[in-house]
Amino acid sequence: MELQTAKKRDLGKMRMPLGVLVLTLMAASLGWAQSNIPVVEAHAVMATDAMHADSMVKLAVLAQVAAGYHINDHMPSLDYLIPTKFEVEPSGQFTVKSVVYPKGTLKKFPFSDVPLSVYEGKVVVGMVLQAGKTMPAGTYTLKAKFAYQACNDHACLGPTSVPVALTIKVVPHNVPLKAVETDVFQRIKFE
Amino acid sequence: MEEQTPMENKTPPESTAPESSPQEKPSAARSKLLVGAALAIALVIGLYYMNRYWIAPAVRAQSKGDGSHPAAPAFSLTDITGQPLKLSDFHGKVVVLDFWATWCGPCRIEIPGFIVLQKRYGTQGFAMIGISMDDSPEPVVDFYKELQMNYPVAVGNGRMGELYGGIPGLPTTFLIGRDGRIYAKHVGATDPAVFESEIKQLLAGSPESEDKTFHQAGPIFEEDKVELGDPAVIDSEVPGVDLTKLTADQKEAFKKKLENQHCTCGCNRNLLDCRLNDRSCSISKKLAKDQLEAFLNGKGTGSVSPPAPPPTSKDKGTDDATPPATPPSK
Repeated sequence: MELQTAKKRDLGKMRMPLGVLVLTLMAASLGWAQSNIPVVEAHAVMATDAMHADSMVKLAVLAQVAAGYHINDHMPSLDYLIPTKFEVEPSGQFTVKSVVYPKGTLKKFPFSDVPLSVYEGKVVVGMVLQAGKTMPAGTYTLKAKFAYQACNDHACLGPTSVPVALTIKVVPHNVPLKAVETDVFQRIKFE
Repeated sequence: MEEQTPMENKTPPESTAPESSPQEKPSAARSKLLVGAALAIALVIGLYYMNRYWIAPAVRAQSKGDGSHPAAPAFSLTDITGQPLKLSDFHGKVVVLDFWATWCGPCRIEIPGFIVLQKRYGTQGFAMIGISMDDSPEPVVDFYKELQMNYPVAVGNGRMGELYGGIPGLPTTFLIGRDGRIYAKHVGATDPAVFESEIKQLLAGSPESEDKTFHQAGPIFEEDKVELGDPAVIDSEVPGVDLTKLTADQKEAFKKKLENQHCTCGCNRNLLDCRLNDRSCSISKKLAKDQLEAFLNGKGTGSVSPPAPPPTSKDKGTDDATPPATPPSK
């Protein structure tokens, strides 16, 4: 037969040592057997310890993709791929001003003739949130979800999402704000 | 006079290089590389034999000629051209049943191979069937036309996937013999030669009896083990949870209990609604099973347990003392 699929191509083209290859395949296989475990874990952090009403705050969603898996870029390289998205449930008190996704890594997979733009490992999504003008001080929880569709080298899991709670503390205007998680926010290219 | 060690005497000065000299670095690195490579090769050989004589036989015993090939669950769907698609219509044929999706790269790469198999063996008692797990038929129809697929394709559903043991990964492909039994399962993109080898074996089989000599081709992984879903559990009033041990009254009480539990998967539903609306949600499935276990263990079997109190705002992950940003879910 003239056609070859992932497993065969994988073995034929890879340049890595055989031992590493076998270990990788075994790890992928073990990971697959544990597919009930979420492939992505995510949580959010704010750029400051609190925010004021009628102001904007930067948030970062820190997602970790399990080893051996990848998820698609927010701007996937092929139109049939399901993009990664971060979505916040609408709220009367907060408005999402912008969401900044990282640039994916171009990677060649056995199942694709062209390199695909994907996220692997740690993924950091930035977001700017606007608080309402007349918000009383307090702690607010916004519901959000990190939606993705994951694959490994030879198979894919269905599209799914992981819930992310955005906990936002609003303080009176006379309370100063303190920058936190600066190393995270320095790496996000907010416009 | 400086004292020389015997070693120093044996080594001519011109050939002795300091430890940090550039001449010795590559050879030391090469030695380490060789040792590493030798260890890797030894590990590979060890893993090969471990798999061959220990892991793989255990998996094979589950799916090979020991009379344990289960009957393929029946299904009745409408294919994307509007024609009925029933597995029972294929009795007497060898069937490759492919669960796939248009958004799945490893699935797409297999399709041309399936088209070739259908062309090659379609007149010899073989039939390809595609079950797309896409949410809607539109992308499936487009792909079907683009690739000029020559076999029936229908959009499947969660229940059908569960009947086939759950389809967590795509592609997942089943080999069904002329007798309607499942002989092999492959999760992930698989070499067409593997399917071809298995099809040839099964074409030589009989529609009347189980082929006990069948051997699954290619590498066998743990996830390739055939384990079908139990219709009693799948069609339970709480999908995926076995309620057969409960009386009618207990079932109602248990369902009420689930209604009062918040599902933590992010669906904004109670546990019962999540199970009913999203059968594939592994989080609600586990929570509901845990609740059943607690219900059976804690409340006994003879009395109806009272429903749980309504969830507090803390249960929903919201700070009690602060105003919620969104209204509570239904």
